[in-house]
Amino acid sequence: MTRKPIVLATAATVLALAVGASALAGSTRSSVDPGITPTSILLGGTVPLSGVASAYSAVAVGANAYFKYVNAKGGVNGRQIDYKYLDDTYNPAMTVQLTRQLVEQDKVFAIFNTLGTETNLAIRPYLNAAKVPQLFAASGDTSFGSDVATYPQTIGFFPSYQAEGWALGQYMKKNKPKAKIAVIAQNDSYGRDLLVGLKKGLGGGSAKVIAAQNYEVTASDVGSQIAKLKSSGADTLAVFATPQFAIQSYVFANKLGWKPFVLTNVVSSASNIMLLASEGGANKRVLGSVSVVFLKDPTDPKWSKDKAILLYRTILGKYAKGANAKDVYHVYGMAVAYATVNLLKRLGKNPTRAGLIAAVDSMNIRDDPFLLPGIAIKTGPGDHFPLSQMYFQQYAKTGWKQFGSLVNYRG
Amino acid sequence: MRRLAVPVMLFGALAVAIVLAPLFLSDFQAQQAAYVGIYAIALIGLNVLTGYTGQISLGHGAFMAVGGYTTAILMTDHGVKDLWTIPIAAVVAGAAGFLFGLPALRLTGLYLALATFAIAVSTPAVLKKFEGFTGGGSGKNLFGVKELTGGIAPVHVLGWKLNFNNWLYYLCWTMALVLYVVAWLLLRGRTGRAFRAVRDSETAALSSGVSLAKYKTFAFGVSAAYAGIAGSLFAIATTYVNADTFPVQLSIFLLVGVVVSGLGSLTGVIAGAVFIEFLPLWAQDVSKSPGAPGVIYGVILIGVIFLLPTGAAGLLPGLLRRVATLFRGR
Repeated sequence: MTRKPIVLATAATVLALAVGASALAGSTRSSVDPGITPTSILLGGTVPLSGVASAYSAVAVGANAYFKYVNAKGGVNGRQIDYKYLDDTYNPAMTVQLTRQLVEQDKVFAIFNTLGTETNLAIRPYLNAAKVPQLFAASGDTSFGSDVATYPQTIGFFPSYQAEGWALGQYMKKNKPKAKIAVIAQNDSYGRDLLVGLKKGLGGGSAKVIAAQNYEVTASDVGSQIAKLKSSGADTLAVFATPQFAIQSYVFANKLGWKPFVLTNVVSSASNIMLLASEGGANKRVLGSVSVVFLKDPTDPKWSKDKAILLYRTILGKYAKGANAKDVYHVYGMAVAYATVNLLKRLGKNPTRAGLIAAVDSMNIRDDPFLLPGIAIKTGPGDHFPLSQMYFQQYAKTGWKQFGSLVNYRG
Repeated sequence: MRRLAVPVMLFGALAVAIVLAPLFLSDFQAQQAAYVGIYAIALIGLNVLTGYTGQISLGHGAFMAVGGYTTAILMTDHGVKDLWTIPIAAVVAGAAGFLFGLPALRLTGLYLALATFAIAVSTPAVLKKFEGFTGGGSGKNLFGVKELTGGIAPVHVLGWKLNFNNWLYYLCWTMALVLYVVAWLLLRGRTGRAFRAVRDSETAALSSGVSLAKYKTFAFGVSAAYAGIAGSLFAIATTYVNADTFPVQLSIFLLVGVVVSGLGSLTGVIAGAVFIEFLPLWAQDVSKSPGAPGVIYGVILIGVIFLLPTGAAGLLPGLLRRVATLFRGR
């Protein structure tokens, strides 16, 4: 009989444990999406922190600094935004492994701001099958905006390469109708999309592409390509190349005594890159170059008193110590972070992945202060092209000068 | 036979540990461990060539690419189930290695290193050149292709329900253990002796009746077949290949891995594979400043080579020797 209390106690303990366990199980079942806690939202992504493309890592540094600034002001609906970014060295196989780590081990709410075209293409089927949002892929590949039916979880951010090429084509058609254009393009979908867009923009006008040369990302230089383009007799050079090769294009054209009018592309038009291409002012080929622009350039004196650029400098100085404030990729990071904060606010008290995608399908942000005035972030069902408007800019001794009115191309 | 008892027991213990490990690993860690298995396979192959036969190769990433692309193209364009592509990848890569072995006969030392390095450098460009066949820069995505076993859905094997990562783990490590035994059997007998003879002195080997042409090309073929299997598994595990998936750095990492594991010994390959898979990740944990992970990686590498000149395989005998001298000193 003395054993009865023990039996009872054991039974009670087992019962309590069972109830506790079932309560626990219940609470996990009804719980929110991964990456969401009562106090935080976890975003993750990959950027190249090392290797040939490491200059682009500034897009993550800028975004992270902006999130920290928002967090210091109380976060989004009471939650702090944590942004974990990892180094994929620009190798898609690494991107896949690290993205799986972020999704399966770190349990991020969404993949955000992953940089590169091939890298984003590599993880797209996986993220869509796992129903993890692939938010604001940092690539201008047209398919991120147009393949919404197949990949509803995916959205890009900046104007597509086709849109950019189209705008440059339009500029040539209107302003230099007799131009003979030579193109140096990277041998992948990025280079190709820009060329396709350029031809679309020229559409039917008398300005024509008369020669095109490709180079491999792994190439050491583009000297022979520039020589061939020079011998084609073209008077205009379109540079659809990443920074290292864009700089070389200017340098080789100058060395060969070729004086074409130059069109250059957004990914290589940052002021620090133009400065390198100008070889300390010795290379005059950079002067007069035309490109498109959608971000406020922190080196443009026009914005030196601008509220957003002042805020940008403050945030960068406080939350990203040692970062170069002249680097426009930091501005890009803040522009994309601003749009993200705007989206997360709209999700309210209980953010879900499904809710995020619904919000992505109906963006209309007209006040992103880091974008040029008048440029809106707009999407609709089946339309994942957030940015499609841009201005032209021309390079002068003092730096880039924005000119003309807004151009718009969806696609 | 008694001489074998200890290695067989150790191998058995390793096999048991590998079978049970997923119980203690998270889902994601199982996937990382699968990659360690893949690199171990490539390292065994490279060790046969570089460690045992003395032929340096800075181009093994290219043979992995051959295997990876064989698998990816067969799966996406020809409807071959992923598992069946593995032996085909081994044969195709092995043939490529054998053919490369023929011109390599005329090259030694530094010149061979340069020639193999050239293969590694040119591979991405060649893959992009034949875009219709290889998918070019956009590559081939295997995720969601019906020839892929698993994905988001679990995999059923012999009545067991495994998730994708655990399935990858068992697939890669089963292959690794089998290929380890195959390499061990190959190297302990006549062929292995001939390989070592070629390594130690070509003239001596030749005068003892060892055909240099036969054994060098054979070593290249076997080694490339191993790399092909590793590449095939890499494609399946990553579910994606493109021209940048098998960069020059991979070839260099493999050579680093084989040095870390210990040249001319198979016991350290897992250490070498762990080094390849995890060191870049650990380097990132230390610092995220642009360029910093690369520097940290380099410093650790120099440290390892400095402290362990004979690689992980030399660690245990080295320790034993030190302990022995310590006791003798007293």
